[in-house]
Order: sequence, then structure tokens, then C-alpha cells
Amino acid sequence: MPRRIVIIGAHAAAVDAAVAARKTDRTAEITLLTTEKHAGYSRCGLPFVLGGHIPRFKDLIVFPQTFYKMMKLNLLYKTTATNIDTEAKTVEIQDKTEKRKLPYDSLIIATGAFPFVPPIKGREKHGVHVVRTIEDGQKIDKAIKDGAKSAVVIGGGLIGLEVAIALVERGLKTTVVELIPQVLPAMLDTDMAKLVHEMLEQKGLRIIVGKGVDEILGEEKVTGVSVGGEQISTDLVVVATGVKANTELAKKAGIATGFRGAIKANARMETNVPGVYAVGDCAESINLVTGRPALVQLGTVAVRHGKVAGINAAGGYALFSGVLGSGVTKFFDMEIGATGLNEFFAKRNGIATVTGALSSKTKADYYPGALPIRVKLVVEKESQRIIGGQIVGSEEVTQRINALSFAIQMHMTVRELAKADTAYAPPLSETWEPMVLAAEIALRKLR
Amino acid sequence: MVKVDGHEIVEGLHYSKEFFWVRIENGKAKMGVTDYAQKQLREIVFAELPSTGGIITQNEPFGSVESVKAVSDLIAPLSGTIEQVNEEVTSKPELLNEDPYGNGWLLVVAPSNLDAELKTLMDFNASVEWHKSLLK
Repeated sequence: MPRRIVIIGAHAAAVDAAVAARKTDRTAEITLLTTEKHAGYSRCGLPFVLGGHIPRFKDLIVFPQTFYKMMKLNLLYKTTATNIDTEAKTVEIQDKTEKRKLPYDSLIIATGAFPFVPPIKGREKHGVHVVRTIEDGQKIDKAIKDGAKSAVVIGGGLIGLEVAIALVERGLKTTVVELIPQVLPAMLDTDMAKLVHEMLEQKGLRIIVGKGVDEILGEEKVTGVSVGGEQISTDLVVVATGVKANTELAKKAGIATGFRGAIKANARMETNVPGVYAVGDCAESINLVTGRPALVQLGTVAVRHGKVAGINAAGGYALFSGVLGSGVTKFFDMEIGATGLNEFFAKRNGIATVTGALSSKTKADYYPGALPIRVKLVVEKESQRIIGGQIVGSEEVTQRINALSFAIQMHMTVRELAKADTAYAPPLSETWEPMVLAAEIALRKLR
Repeated sequence: MVKVDGHEIVEGLHYSKEFFWVRIENGKAKMGVTDYAQKQLREIVFAELPSTGGIITQNEPFGSVESVKAVSDLIAPLSGTIEQVNEEVTSKPELLNEDPYGNGWLLVVAPSNLDAELKTLMDFNASVEWHKSLLK
């Protein structure tokens, strides 16, 4: 009898798991299910559709229906997993017409995460949005098309700011409110965040940091928010204060959860129940620097999780190496990236650090069109190893973040980076690579 | 040749809903995957093909192609005995991406039930309509 693999979920982690499973076992019966009416689309692209950089929400669908057919994957839309029986090895599912049980040999839980909306008074009002699904994006798009002129975004993290910029690009007077006293608090240290903050204000975004929204105002419909005694009138509110792992189903089935409520998984992405795997936004990982559990809810991590779990669920053997939380984004003409630990998280993990930071140009200084870039390295004092990097610049950020990520993964010391061999030509880079110079600066502090 | 949303469909060929094209030449059937299929698979990195002398059966898998993001069985559009296998494709699977209707052909088969099976395939016009429905 062919191996039966059931995957609860049908986005980044789930579809990559299905592909890896199919490549490992050509005869397995693989079933994916999603509660949504769309599957296999990129949530990460939603703000860029809103901002008009991508024409249609439909364009975000990475895996069209024919893909599942070619791969012989059975995809069930608008279907909810209501119960997992790990003894009988069945998943109870409910679609529009019936409730039935799917037997499995391997189960992959990719239930994702849901937007966390803090208990702010008035959060249930009409005109309060979140950004998770295509439908969420379409609702915001409709509000803009229906004439919204102003917006308040609650949360100054990655998603909050990406959405806020999209709203500015669509012509809305937009305010971002962030409780922590800086933007991108999970990504950047205060000094690097300041560069981003200043640029965003120059582009017309109002940013309030260090204050929370006390109340969402209006009768049935939103008319404003109250922030630290100030009333800001607004046509719509977007809440982007993070997401929480969706683990209710797993917990009910006796599957162990851990860090920040995410499902515990070993290096094969297997849970405490043999044959049951967890991947993506609902599953924890190990941080490569600290060795401690981490919850990095990014698409890159999801697809890597998925690949490992898919191979294992189909009878192969694969290990997940861990996460550094490497991430990049683009705000207007500024690219922002980070990998590993920043100073704040290093300190919180009890790691003593030195840093090296440097502003440079993306081409030779004399070359027309050379643009600014700033690199910051975080170095563990004890081992002299590079444990983190942050880069803010007008171009050429992503591949430097990747280079720093590789350096961290290979346990490179700041001394080695300071002597590294790099490439140069005037239209492409500076003679001295800014990462190398930042390493020299950090090294000097260690002497 | 016409393009449906950028996917080429060539006149004079027969098409299966398993993403194969068939060209009948002197009573033999030359076959390969469609432009739509190779675009769905993206960069093809591996092709597993049968040997000459083997038998293929309509609607049954006879091999597979694998890309970075996908893997797909090759489903026979017709039944018959394999007379030629495009060995070049096994060493250069990218031919399937570069020239799916030409140098990326897969098999030449002596059909065993041609007249009846051809009726189950789509002609050019039907294939264009089918591609339109796929890409809606």
C-alpha cells in the first residue's frame, strides 16, 4: 500500500514539504488541506500588491492548480482539520458538505500563525484590519478604493512598516504607532533603526514610538485612535503587532509546545509524537548562535522546515540546521537587512559583545551614482566570532546579509573577516569592502 | 504557433491533458512535454527515460522529469513500442526548457493503437482552448 502523507496547511512550508515528499517517494498519496480558498501563495508579497508594485493579488500565487496535478498532490480547499488522533493515525476534516477522517502514515502540521491583535478598546470596530491572507489584503485595498484618505498602522515592525509604506504610496496620510521606543525592534539596534526612522519621516510617514494606542475611536466605524492623550483621526486602522503560532489543534492532540507557544520539533522537524512533523510559522527552531529555541516566522525558514519534514515524512533522512533569523526588506529606496543577533538580543542571552560599524558607498566614492550603505557587525567578545550583522543602504544589501549569514554559520572570527579577500571595480563597489572595514573597527575594540 | 499567456502551442500536433505533444510522421509518433509543462516545472535538472524496445501504454507513466521545485511523471499520450529515445536529454535536461517542441523531444514510438487513441487527444484548436481554461 502506498505511504499516506497528510499535510495540514497549503502555503510556503506545506507545499515545499509536499514537493520534497513527492521527490522522495514517487508513489505516496499526499494530501494537503487549507481553510482558505487560495493556496500556495506568498503572504510576503501582500504589502507590495497594496503598494502597487505587483499588479494583482492573484500574481502572488506561486503554485497554480495545475502544479498540484502534475505533482499528483491532492489539495483540499476550504477544508478545516478539526481533530488529530495520533493513536488511530487519522485527521478529522470538515469541508462545506461533510466531516470525515483521513488516515495517515506521516502527518505534517503546517497550521501557520494568526495575527495577534492586542486587547485595545475598540478593536472590533469596522475599519480595523490585519494583514495575513489575500482576503485581508483585498479588504484594505477596497477601503482605499472606497476613498480612505488616512490610516494608522499599529506596530512598527517589518510588516507594519511595509504596509504603512504601501499606504503612503497609495496617497494615504499614514501614522505608525510602535510601543517600543524604536522602529524594527526585533531586527535592528537603536542606532541602525534611527537611520530608517529618519528616512521614513522624510518620505512623509508619521512615526510615534514608545507609545501605545489607548483606544480605537468611532461608533461602529473607525474614526480615529487615541495615542498618549492625542487623538489622531483616521479612516482605517491596520494592526500589525506580530503573529502567534496556531497550535490549538496540535495541543489538543497532545503534541508538545515550547518557545512562545510554538510546536516543539527536533532536528528532523518531528514532534514528540513519532511520525508527526511540524513546520513553518507554528514550529520552533534552534538559534544557531545561542543554541536555544527560537521562533522565526519567516518564509525562508518555512520552506527550509518544509523540505526537511517532507523528506523525513516520505521515509528519507534530512536534518534542519537551525536559524539565524536572516531577513531583508525594502522601504521606498532603502534596503534593510539583518542576520544573527543584534546587541539587544545578545545581551538578553548573556553574551558580551563588541561592535564595529561603518558608513561607506556602494560604488567607488568618485563614481557617479555611488550610494550610501552602513554595515554593523556584532562580535562575541569571548570567541571573537561574528554573531550578528545589520545593514542599511540604498542597494547591495541582501547579498551582504547572506555573506554575513554564511560567515556566522561557518563560525568565522572577526579577525578572519578583517583579512578577507573581496572583489572590486569602481562601478560596482568600493576598494575596501565595508564588511571588512567594520570587522577592523570591531577588532580594534578587542585589542 | 500561438501563445496563450506566453505559453506556446504549435499547429499540427496532438496534445494530451497530461501535458504531452505528439507529432505523427510516417506512421510513427514523436512525443515530448509541452511548453506549458516545462514552464510549470521551471529549470529541469533530471530526466529519467525508458530504453528503446520498451512498451509504453497510454495514460501510464513511463519516466519522470525533475526540476528544482517539482517532479512529474511522464504519462504516455499513446501506446506503442519505443523506437528512439532522445539520449541527449538525459545528459542535457535543459533542452526540455529551451526547445520543448524541437530538440527537447523525448521518444519516437511505433504506435499500436493509433487511430483509436488519437481520437482521445486534443487537436491544435482544442489545445488552445484548454490552455486558456488552465490559465484563466
